[in-house]
Amino acid sequence: MRPSAWLPLAVLSACAVCGAATRPHYGGTLRVEMRAAPATLDTATPDAAPLASLVFEPLVRLDASGAPHPCLAISWQHDATAKRWQFNLRPGVKFHDGFALVPAAVVASLRSVLAGAVIGAAGDTITIRAERPGPGLLLELAHNGLVFARDAEGALVGTGPFRLASWEPGRRATLAASADYWGGRAFVDAIELQMGRGLREQLVDLEIGKTDIAELGPAELRRAAEHGRAVWSSAPLHLIALVFAPGHAADPRLREALALSIDRAAMHSVLLQKQGEITAALLPQWLSGYAFAFPTAPDPARARGLTAELPASARVLALSYDPAIPAGRAICERVAVNARDAGLTVQVAPQNAKADLNLVEVRLPSLNAVRALVDIGPSIGLEALQPVGPTPEALYESERRLLEDFRAIPLFQLPDLYGAAGRVHVFQPPAITRMGDWRFENIWLSGAAP
Amino acid sequence: MTFRTRLLLLFAVTVVIAVVFVGAIVSTTTRRAFGRLDDQRVSAVVAQFRQELARRQREIVPRVKDIAEADSTLAMAICLSGADADPASCVEDVQPVAAAHNLDFLELVSSNGTLISSAQWPARFLYQEDWVTRRDDWNSQPPFLKREELPNDTALAITCVRVATVADRKLYVIGGEALDREFLSSFVLPTGMRALLYREPLTLISAAGPVQQTAALAPVISELRKRRGEVTRTVEWSGDAASAETFHAIPLIGPDNELMGAFLVGSSRAEEVGLERFLRRVEILVAVGGILLALLVSLWTTARITRPVEALAAGARAVAAGDWKTHVEVRSDDEIGALGAAFNHMTRELLEQRDRLLQAERVAAWRELARRLAHELKNPLFPLQITVENLQRARADHPDQFDEVFRESTATLLAELGKLRGIIGRFSDFAKMPPPQLETVDLNGLVRESLKLFEAQMQAAGVTLHLDLAADLRAIQADPAQLGRAVQNLVLNAIDAMPSGGTLTIRTAPQEGGVQVEVTDTGQGLTQEECDRLFTPYYTTKTHGTGLGLAIVQSVVSDHGGRIAVRSEPGKGTTFVIDLA
Repeated sequence: MRPSAWLPLAVLSACAVCGAATRPHYGGTLRVEMRAAPATLDTATPDAAPLASLVFEPLVRLDASGAPHPCLAISWQHDATAKRWQFNLRPGVKFHDGFALVPAAVVASLRSVLAGAVIGAAGDTITIRAERPGPGLLLELAHNGLVFARDAEGALVGTGPFRLASWEPGRRATLAASADYWGGRAFVDAIELQMGRGLREQLVDLEIGKTDIAELGPAELRRAAEHGRAVWSSAPLHLIALVFAPGHAADPRLREALALSIDRAAMHSVLLQKQGEITAALLPQWLSGYAFAFPTAPDPARARGLTAELPASARVLALSYDPAIPAGRAICERVAVNARDAGLTVQVAPQNAKADLNLVEVRLPSLNAVRALVDIGPSIGLEALQPVGPTPEALYESERRLLEDFRAIPLFQLPDLYGAAGRVHVFQPPAITRMGDWRFENIWLSGAAP
Repeated sequence: MTFRTRLLLLFAVTVVIAVVFVGAIVSTTTRRAFGRLDDQRVSAVVAQFRQELARRQREIVPRVKDIAEADSTLAMAICLSGADADPASCVEDVQPVAAAHNLDFLELVSSNGTLISSAQWPARFLYQEDWVTRRDDWNSQPPFLKREELPNDTALAITCVRVATVADRKLYVIGGEALDREFLSSFVLPTGMRALLYREPLTLISAAGPVQQTAALAPVISELRKRRGEVTRTVEWSGDAASAETFHAIPLIGPDNELMGAFLVGSSRAEEVGLERFLRRVEILVAVGGILLALLVSLWTTARITRPVEALAAGARAVAAGDWKTHVEVRSDDEIGALGAAFNHMTRELLEQRDRLLQAERVAAWRELARRLAHELKNPLFPLQITVENLQRARADHPDQFDEVFRESTATLLAELGKLRGIIGRFSDFAKMPPPQLETVDLNGLVRESLKLFEAQMQAAGVTLHLDLAADLRAIQADPAQLGRAVQNLVLNAIDAMPSGGTLTIRTAPQEGGVQVEVTDTGQGLTQEECDRLFTPYYTTKTHGTGLGLAIVQSVVSDHGGRIAVRSEPGKGTTFVIDLA
């Protein structure tokens, strides 16, 4: 061959190598770290939800815009009242133990989720009869309706792109790609998951290359961005609120004074790096549509007036926080500063069981606004609420009544935030859905052997 | 009060006054010395404070200036000068800078007064610090005192402000050093002294930590607030004076002339109070010792002086009571001894003179008695002699008339012999008066009984009787017959002294240890010579009587252990006073 022929060949080869480097390929182990440390992969546990979404699947999924898409159900319809729904199962789906997906398994999974609904199966069709009209049923199924079964040993098995290879409760888990996944095998061979890691530790691990995907808090977000990390976020799913402990701060004027003294905007701008949204409501704006109606602006003059009516001994509060809450300490200290301007003394200490009020973080329990409102109250220590109706107006009134005594003071709605290492690539975004689900089957790793 | 007591009191008072006086002088001198020493020590500590404060103020300026001129600060200023500046990116930048420059406080404030980052209170981001934007000349301003608000406290800080400028935008760098325990620990303090730092309002710290008892210092702080100048006051921490502490307070004034706090130098008074108490104890011991010494000295003195004097006084009283043989034992060769010797010599001389006098009086009395007897006897003897001579003549010359003359003469002889027997009988009675037979006698009753014998005589003589007999007169031990005779003799004398009438007054009265009887007449009275001789036997001023009446009265009174005296002046009557025990 003439020497001049080598050059184009060399160029072509180089292009091939470069192309291979940028083209998705299989292989590699994705290393992931998370704050939560669930003891089980129970689909009903909010802490396990992102992880569960890799192993289990719902009948429908939501896309980036929140619209439902087929998953285990290829189609569905409902009657005019939206009380009776019918879902047609996708054929050829198998559980990780090799058994086919059957309607009975779907029915058994959904019965624990859809309390009060009558669920039946006929052929490959699942019918659901709800007590009330349920336009949010699809959201509910997408968020909570994961289908599971139990294998011969009683372990949970799913139909997702990954199967559970090993499980050390609260510490470590290994997921292996399911070769028989109906949607096609995931690019990565396995996912190694480290649980119970703090945000700062995760950021350090990300920076030193010890992990590929790490959760980020607002304080870590800027640093990750400065280092060129890819940042993924969900919709605001985490409520950050101040909740008074039962039996403490009996005087409503004290609670209201504190609520009116808080400058959420400054904290959102500085401490949370403008992530998420400011709120004075329990449900996020994108879910309820009426969160904006709850006023968030501080009223220091009125706060001072209310404080002046209180005896001096009643103006001291102990505020506790969980160090795992993103920017929790900084938020509490800023609340103390704001409260001081109103004449209140707030003493901040972490994990104080005798505190008068606590900074809490609660993940949105459901994508169904009614269900979410019912469940979120007890999860933060408030009384269970029965909304007067499913309409936004009724939900607003119910939520307003729940919050009117200022026993809970919602502050922010924060998204899930993740940072990804440079070798992590997403074939088909998003890797994190709007609802916070992990779609890691779309991730491939550069540098892994093709 | 006895001489001994007076002497003891005198010594004791002298000692106490001396001790108190000396103690006062010593205490005052001690207090002044302590005061001077305290002033010197306080001045030294205050000088230390001023030097240290000045040093810290000097040293903070270059540190804050370095921060203001540092590249990182400049980058921050540039970052914040943009239209879309995000202060959030700088919120956490200041803490490591503060630590690196050894500053307790560091804040960055943007040109519009917004707090970007605070090392001491990170949560105060985006708060307004408008005070810093009111001046344009911070880079030439010296450090000043500022009150720093902290999450759980306030602090006093030496603060310096420097400005980093980018285009027309400023970034204020506010650096400060706390005046805290570490600051106080830098002082070298003498024993018994301590340094405190007061911060408004009502926070007090020492090198060891917070001081809880701020209430006791409230008067010092109050005066400090009023005067705005240095104040010195003593404070007692408890009821014990040893707990007192003198505080010298120097006000710490801020840039707007407000009182930020004070530097207090406390000087314990425990040592001074302890010394004063010790001195007081010594004073008391010395005073008590002095009083005991005074007691001993007074006892010794009285032994040397008072007892001999008392012995002399007792001797004099004994002599006055009639014991002229009293001898006083005084064994000293000083004036007291001489006085005792003189006293003894006096009593000896008195005894001798009394003996001589008695002898002379006895002789005089015998002579008087002999004279009176001779005179009394001579009267009846002369007629006896004449009568016997008449008988002899009649027998010789006129025998025929002898029987008649014999009868007349024998009658005359018998009468004169009767007179002689009477005279001799009275003399015999006086001579052999028996000792009194004592029994309990009511003197008033005896007087009344005696007076009954003279009622007719008094009436005939025109004598008015006046009785003044004491109702509470106690009974006495006496011989009623003899005493009654004595009273009768006095009454008879008084009646005889008032031949033309008058008033006879008899008075009885109780006396200390006895009774007194007074018999007073309003007669012609007696001369002094007559008074002196009145009680001599056979002495009389009357034309009748034996002259033994008053002698008998005196003898009776003397036998009863009493005394009789006479008061009289010519023309003013006579009073006889009998004192009986």
